[in-house]
Formats: sequence, structure tokens, C-alpha cells
Amino acid sequence: MTNADRVAALEGRADSYPAREQLQARGGRRLLSSDRAWVWLLPVVLLLLAIGIYPFLYNIWNSFREFNPMTGRIEPVGLENWQRLVSEIVEPAGRVRGALWTTAVYVVSALAVEFALGLGIAVLLNSGVWLAGLWQALLILPMVVPPTVAAVMFKVLENPDYGAFSYYLQQIGIADKVEPLLGGTGKYALQAVLIPDIWQWTPFFVLILLAGLKAIPSEPLEASQVDGASAWQTFWHVTLPMLRPMIAVAVLFRLVDLLKVFDYIFVLTSGGPGTRTEVISFYAYQRSFTTIEWGYGSVLGLLIFVLALVVANLFVRVFKVAW
Amino acid sequence: MSMSVPALAAPTHPPRQQRAIDWGRVVRTLVAAATAGLFILPILWWALASVKPTQEILSVPPKLFGFEPTLNWYRVVLGNADPTQFNVEATGSVGRGSGGGTFFSIPYLRDSAIVGVGSTVLVLALALPAAYAMSRFALRWRKDLAFWILTQRMMPPVVAAFPLFFLFQQLRWIDAYHGLILVHAAMNVPLAVLLLMSFFDEVPRDLDDAAMVDGATRFGAFRNSLSLVRGGIVATAVLAFIFSWNEFLLSLVLTTGVVRTVPVASSTFTTAFATEWGYLAALGIASMVPIFIFILVVQRHLVRGLTLGAVK
Amino acid sequence: MHETTDFRDKMAISRAIADYRRGRISRRTMLKTLAAAGVALSAGPMRGPRAWAAPARQELTADQQPEEINAWLTDVGGQFSGASIKVVSEETPPSRAIINLKAALFEELTGITVNWEVVPLDQVLAKVSQDAATRAGANDIYYFDQAWVGRFINDTFDPRELLETKPDLAMPDYNIDDFLEPLVLHIATYGDKMIGFPCDVPIFMYFYRQDIYDEMGLEPATTMEEYLSNAQAINEAMSADGTYGTVGQMKSGHYSLETDMTAYVWSHGGSVFTADGICSLNDEWAVTGVDYMRELQQYMPAAVTTYDWGGQFTAIQQGQGGQVITWGEDFPGWDDPANSQVSGLMQPAPLPANTAQRPPEEAGFEEVPDLGHQGGSTYCLSAYSKQADPAWIFLQWATSSNTQTLASVIGGGASPMRQSTFDDPRVKAEEEVGAGTTRHFPQMLEVINTRMGTEPHLPQWPLIATDIIAVELGKLTTGGYGSTQEGMDTIKRLVDEAAAS
Repeated sequence: MTNADRVAALEGRADSYPAREQLQARGGRRLLSSDRAWVWLLPVVLLLLAIGIYPFLYNIWNSFREFNPMTGRIEPVGLENWQRLVSEIVEPAGRVRGALWTTAVYVVSALAVEFALGLGIAVLLNSGVWLAGLWQALLILPMVVPPTVAAVMFKVLENPDYGAFSYYLQQIGIADKVEPLLGGTGKYALQAVLIPDIWQWTPFFVLILLAGLKAIPSEPLEASQVDGASAWQTFWHVTLPMLRPMIAVAVLFRLVDLLKVFDYIFVLTSGGPGTRTEVISFYAYQRSFTTIEWGYGSVLGLLIFVLALVVANLFVRVFKVAW
Repeated sequence: MSMSVPALAAPTHPPRQQRAIDWGRVVRTLVAAATAGLFILPILWWALASVKPTQEILSVPPKLFGFEPTLNWYRVVLGNADPTQFNVEATGSVGRGSGGGTFFSIPYLRDSAIVGVGSTVLVLALALPAAYAMSRFALRWRKDLAFWILTQRMMPPVVAAFPLFFLFQQLRWIDAYHGLILVHAAMNVPLAVLLLMSFFDEVPRDLDDAAMVDGATRFGAFRNSLSLVRGGIVATAVLAFIFSWNEFLLSLVLTTGVVRTVPVASSTFTTAFATEWGYLAALGIASMVPIFIFILVVQRHLVRGLTLGAVK
Repeated sequence: MHETTDFRDKMAISRAIADYRRGRISRRTMLKTLAAAGVALSAGPMRGPRAWAAPARQELTADQQPEEINAWLTDVGGQFSGASIKVVSEETPPSRAIINLKAALFEELTGITVNWEVVPLDQVLAKVSQDAATRAGANDIYYFDQAWVGRFINDTFDPRELLETKPDLAMPDYNIDDFLEPLVLHIATYGDKMIGFPCDVPIFMYFYRQDIYDEMGLEPATTMEEYLSNAQAINEAMSADGTYGTVGQMKSGHYSLETDMTAYVWSHGGSVFTADGICSLNDEWAVTGVDYMRELQQYMPAAVTTYDWGGQFTAIQQGQGGQVITWGEDFPGWDDPANSQVSGLMQPAPLPANTAQRPPEEAGFEEVPDLGHQGGSTYCLSAYSKQADPAWIFLQWATSSNTQTLASVIGGGASPMRQSTFDDPRVKAEEEVGAGTTRHFPQMLEVINTRMGTEPHLPQWPLIATDIIAVELGKLTTGGYGSTQEGMDTIKRLVDEAAAS
């Protein structure tokens, strides 16, 4: 079925459009009736500039200053904060270097699991199950818990002595009390912080990808089946490519958000043991809020920004996101 | 595997079999139910906690029955009851004689709802025309614009909070609803624009042209295509609302307690010495119920996508 | 197999306690079992929940305040009627108590509105630092943890001066000398500057489970060695049932870990700094102290490496620890029958003697080495306040004897700052098992006066305590270093670098 067919099918609806004259009478909408793109885009651009540009410029300026605990004032420090960043990246034991590595592991694991699970669940819910709406509504609920609260919930659930989740893991022999999810030598600390992340944000993919699946016209799928393609072939060659734009948006945003995540780490491990679960955003949070090194915090914030920029750019190129 | 294969291929409406029971569908439904159940377990545990006396909340294995359910947490959180009137339920850090003031959460829920709904409406109002324009008009810099919009979500709130605080202090927007609404809208507009753009892209451009040939204005064509991206709008709205509802750091820094959203209030339920599990759970569940109902109501629009809309 | 009666009794007791903790039997049944097994519970008189009928909110009226204070609030405070002042603080027992008191006992009488913002501790530091660094005057009254006292000495009014320079605003019978001297000296003063009034003093005390000690025939420890061996004995007997020898606050990367460490370093003759300001955390005394802590760790639940003070509090409340040396303010929460598995079972005891002790003159930055680690805090009048007068009136009221007495009585664990509060009959009347108990106060007063340990207060201390020590020590306690010495050497190097900058 071609688009032309579809248009033909729609011809019959044309009379339902409000007449041109009628619309123009509503003066306020005249601007939007033009094809001048800037009219349509300006509000968004203005909002983003208004809220976005000042923090950005401020952080650049602030990165050349630092709070001095001796005087209690913020003083210019030249390039000191940037030099510190470089040395913490270059030195083998540098905090930023370690944090970047941990971030990479955290982001890749979370993204892979959340995407795979989310896609699977979305496809399942789209496969004509009964009560699909109910399952979907239930599945979205984890996202509704504020991450700070979810982290507190999992702090209890994962506790080896009184946590329900750990209790059941112990019952089926997966975990023990000596080297538990939370505590001990912290062997599983990264898993412990990833669990609430995956629990909360798999639904993000479910929601977007399911909406995307629903938006795929059924004709190509039917055509593919008529052509004798197997279910997998149809999924791989028809469904997935058509879902691509939504996948791109979902992955990109989750990627960007993951680079900024710190709630679970803050509550569950404080980056520990030592610095084993210290991701870059938690490190930035600590500098800005706990140790009051605002200038360096700004530097780390800009680092995260640049990191997101680079990673997102790579993703757009490698996966040929068609914007 | 064999059961999931038909699942992958099946379009929105699986071809109707004979009257025999569709076992594949039964199995898929069971799997879906089990998955939803697994994800919902922590919330069920949380819901149980909200009607348990403190001593029971942390008991393992978690008790489903055999405890004396109490609504006292809700009475304080939603009804502003004095915790001490329940005596036994007065918790350690509340102590005797102190009011339920800090735990009475209707004002927090109200503030969160105002900011959440306000910013979601604003996000949709701004993002829909923008997404439509980016999808429909021949923009040479569409790709660059899309990427620039994405970059607006990249600045971590950890470092955006203070400059915004200074800015808002100058504007006297601290503790102002419109301030938080604007910030949350700016946080969610990028996702909304790009997501909606992808949905508009799925709608064939010819539809608009045909409509306009028939006398509709550009705005009319835009309005018509809205019904074709309903699924995307609903998904976007749900996400924008949830992100605003959950946002913690900016809401904390840009207010001083006059306006206080649920996540900020929740953070004070964990005191220097103890966590008020009961109140935290009651507030959590109470704030989840309206959202759950909202999702249940709107999700039917998610089910009807382009296909149905186009061949209605 | 031969079983002695004694052994059978012990088994019955430990089973009863375990059953109770898991919620299989009621508290009453457990106590009966214990009684049958001959455990004498001398935990003090028990009151049924109904007995401690609370003075409900609506009953808080001005008649709980002396007539002359009411008159002062109306006359002097009334001049500023309509003013609105801002306070930012952490969620602590005294803060919440004062928030609950202020409407009836202050705002109604003066017409001054007090907007009190409660946020988590590190947010307090961030908000206060912003306010002070930019001199914005967004908050009129600051809440400072003792760890920050060196950092903000120039950002507040010295209350002694205010009492002199503003006699017309002075509260009648305020009596600044009533504050316990150690608290004024170590929480509210740095150098010559008094930055505000002490408002809270969580301080390390020794608590033990009377039921377990009685059952096992243990005595409260008088030395650090005994304390360790008690922990070991309890752990060996009961850890399989979920009661460990002790519990700690050893969350890597969290300030609480640093507070535990300093207590054990101090009690073994070490200190963070020497008198010349050089870090001495790697000398033999400090290393002995840290080794001691790591030995204790073996008798704690594995999860302690993620427990901050809240986690530790909950663990004890759940009956997971046979004994503990920690914040006295935790105690009323453990005694709370509605929320605690150990109500009436925990007992305060004098702190064990130090194995060795470094005199304060040999430590640096006003550090005082002793086991009774204090984590006090102050309310201070911001030097940038635009409404200093009404704020000063509120500050005096909030820290006055009567207000602090009421806070100690109604709040869950707010601790007194003043001798008169410790002596007040209303406070003494609450020395019974229950959520708002004050039965640990006599021991607490003893620790404040004789065993109080105080951290060094150089301006860089927040960074050193919450980041460097907390992170590296977290590495050490989870096996990240080859030896204690190696870890402490690293900490010393990093601390010296930070202190020098």
C-alpha cells in the first residue's frame, strides 16, 4: 500500500476540515496558518534559551572561580580547576578517571538491560494480549516513584537482614549474608545501585516503544506475512526499522539522563566502597553540595555536558538517526 | 521461544482463529501479567508498608496477612491528624505532643500537581507546533536544530541549580509556581519535541497536502494530524508529567519551603536519625493512585495509533 | 547428648528473642519466656502506651511558658509584629520540636512569622554556604553542624555581644552561663568567636541490651578490651539468629564513618592532628584505633559498610545489635514501643575507659580526643540578616531554658543544652521507658562533662571529614588496602594536602 492509496482513502474526510475562511476569522491562529517555520519554532527556542543559556554561561564563568573555605568567599583562581580536571583524568589513580570508567560501565549496563527488557515487554504487550492496557498502566508505575524515594525503598529491600528482596534471593540461594547486595566488601555494590535504576527506567522504554509500535501501520506487517516471512524476519526487517526513530529518541534521552543519574548512588552506597560506584555525576554532586567546591563542580558539570554531547553525537552518527 | 515468535509477528489485531481457544494468546497474557507483577512487587510491598505498624514494615519474610492493618499513616498524611492521638503510632522522632504538620502532605501533593500539570500543558503547547514544523517544513537545518534541542537536556541539574537560583532570586521567582513550571517545561521540552517529531514523521506528508488542497489551512492540517499522533501525545504527556513529578534537585533549590513538591518533602521524611517508613509509604502510595488512574484513562489512546485513525 | 538446664534456658531465650524479632510471637509472650528463664528485666518501670497520654498539639498554650517570658514576647517581640524571618536547618529532634512549639508559644504572642525550612544536612551546608558567600541574607538564622564552626566564624553575630549591645531586646533571665560549658566551648566557639548558641548535642554513649547481657552473664564493659570481647561473645552466640555483637555506622563515603573512626582513634591515644597541625592518623595510636574498629566490624552485620547513622539506628531498633557506642539521641527511638523491637531492653552505661588518651594540648585545631564523640550543632544569627532584631528575639526564645525543656519533653530525643533543663522536674518526670524517654540523660550529662570528644575545626574540615577520610577509610574497611597502615598513610597524605591548601 502506498501513501497515494492512503491519501485516496482519506479524500472522503476532506469535508470535515474547517473551511479556510472560517479559520482565518479566528485571528490568533493566522500566524500559525503560515508556512513560516520560525513562527512554529520560536516559543520552544525562546524557552530553552531563557532557561538554558544562563546556567551554561554561569558555569563557564564559575569554573574559573572557587569557594575559599579560609575566607568564606568565592575568589578567582584562573585555570586551577581545569588543571585539576586534567590531572584527575591523566593520573592513573585520578578520581575523575575512575569515575568516568565507572560511569561507562553503569551507563552501558543500565542502557542495555533497560532497552532489551523494554523492547521485549513492549512487543509482548503489542502482541494482542488480554488486558494489555492494565499491564501497561501497571508497568508504568515504577517510573512514578521519585528516584530519591525509590532509592530509599531499595535500601530496605536489599538489606541482607531485614530486606524482603534480599530475603527471597537468600531463599533461592542467589545471595547470602556474608557478601550481600548491599554491604560486605561491596562486591555487588554496582548491581545494588543498578537494580532500582533498571526497575524504574525499563518502563520508560516500554512506554515509548509501545506507543511507537502502535503507530506502525499494519499494512507493511501484513504484506510481509503474506510474502511468507517468518515472525522473526518480519520483526527484524519491518517492525524494527519502522520503530527506529522512536528507539533513537528513547535511547538518546535515556543515555543523556543516565549520565546525570546520582540518586541511587547517593542513597545506597555514597559512591562506595571507596570509589567503586562513584559515577561522574555523583562526584559532581559531592563537589557542589558536600565539599563545597563549586568552581570544580562547575567544571565537572561542563565535563558531563561535553560527554553527553560527544556520546549523543556518536550515537546519532553510528546509528544514522534520520532527523 | 516458540511462544514468543507469534507474539513478535502479530499485528495489532491477530487474525481471528476459529472458535478454539487461542493458547498462544493465553500464554502471552500470562507472561505479560507475570512481568507486570514482577515490576509491581516493590510497590505492593510499599502499599503494604503504608498500612502496617512500623514494627511490621521491616519484618522478613514480609507479611501479607496476620498484622493489624492501620490507616493512621494516611490519616496524618492526608487528613492532618495529630500523630499523637494514635499514641502507639507516634514515632520516635515525632515524639509526643508534636503535630502532624510536617507529614500532612496535601499541600505537597497540591504543589506537585500544579507544577506537574502546568508544565505538562506548557510542554505540549510549545512542543506540538514545533515538532510538527520540524516534521513538515523543509528545514535545511532540521538535523542541527534537533540536536541542539537535545543538548538542552544535557546540563546536569547538579550545576544548573545554583545559577538558576541566582537568576530566580533576581526575578523574585523563588517559591513561585510559574518559575518551577518554566524550569520543568524547559527540562521536558527537548524530549517532547523530538519524540513528537518522530511520530509526525510517521504520518504521511501527503495527508496534509491533500487536506490543504481541499481548503484546509496549515493550522487545520496540523490540527487534523494531531489525532493521528494521539499515541505519541499521550506518551509524551505521561513522560513530561512523570519527569516533573519526580524532579528533586531543582525543586529543592528553587524553593524555600513555601512551595514544596512531593520529592522534596519526602526527602525530609528521612530524618537525621530515622526514616519515617510509614509516612513515606503512605505519601508514596497516595501520590501514585491519581497518576495510575490517569494512565489507565489515557492509555486507551495509546492503543489506537495511526492505523485506526487513518482508515476509520 | 547432654544438655545442661542452663544451656536449655539460653536456647529458649535466644529463640524467644528471635521469634519476637521476626514477629512470630508478641512482646508479652517473649517477656514471659524470658521471665520463665530467669532473666530479670530491671529496665525500669514500663508504662502502657495509653499511660503516656501526650499533651496534644491543641493543648500547647502560652501557659506552659513563664508569665514574664510571655510578657517580653508580647511587648518587645510585638514591636516587630508582621515581620517574617527565615530559618534553614536539618531535620533533627530539637528542630522539629521547636517547629512544633513556635506557633503557640512564639508566633501568636509576637506576631512575627517564622518560616522554617527543613532540608537534608548537606543541603543545609550548600544553602548556608551560598547565602554566606554571596551575603544575600536569604536566611536570618543558620543551623551549623559543629564540623563547620571554623568555616563560618565571620558570618554570624557573636551572641555575647548581642546580649550586651541590645539590652532592650534581651530576654529576661536568659542566663547564658546556664549552657553547659563544654558545649559552648566546643560546639559554638572557634578561636575567640562564639558563633551562636548550641542547640543540639548528639554524643557517643554506650548502650547495651540488658536481656542479652543478663542471659549471657556479661557485665557492662569498663575497658575497650572488655567491650570488644563482649561483642565477640554475643556475636558467636547469637549471630546465626540475626543478633550481632554490635552495629556500626560504616557507610563508605559518608561522614558517619569518619565519626566512628575518630572515636576509636581517640580512645586509643591517637588524634587527627598534632599540635603543629600535621595529620597524625597514621601513627601507631591511630592505627591501633582503626584496627580496633576493624576488629569490631567482624562482629557486626555485613551491611554496616552501607549503614550511615540512620541505618545503624534501624538495625539496633530491629534488635540486630547486642551493644553499641553511638549517638545518645538514638536512644528514645529504640525505647519507643510502637516502632522498636528493643523497647525497654537497651540500657545506657558509662563509656569504657580509654586505652590511651592524647591530651588536647597535643592535638590541633581545637581537637579534643576522647571516646564521647559529639556531633552538636548551633543556631546562629546571620551577619547578613536584614531583620536581625526580630530574628535575635526568636533565637533567644528558641534557645531559652523553658523552650529547650519543652523540646526535651515533647520531642523524640531532643537533648538538653542547659544545666537547668537537665535538672527540670518536667524532664526528670520522663525518665521512663517510652518514645520520649529521658532516662539516658544522667549518663549523657556525665559524658558531656567528662568524656566529650571533639573533632578538629579547621575551615577545610568538612572536605576532609566527609570526603577524604570517609572515602579512603571506606576503601580500607572493605578490604581495598593491603594493611591498615597503608590505608592510613594515604589518608594522612591527602589530609595534609587538603589542610595546607
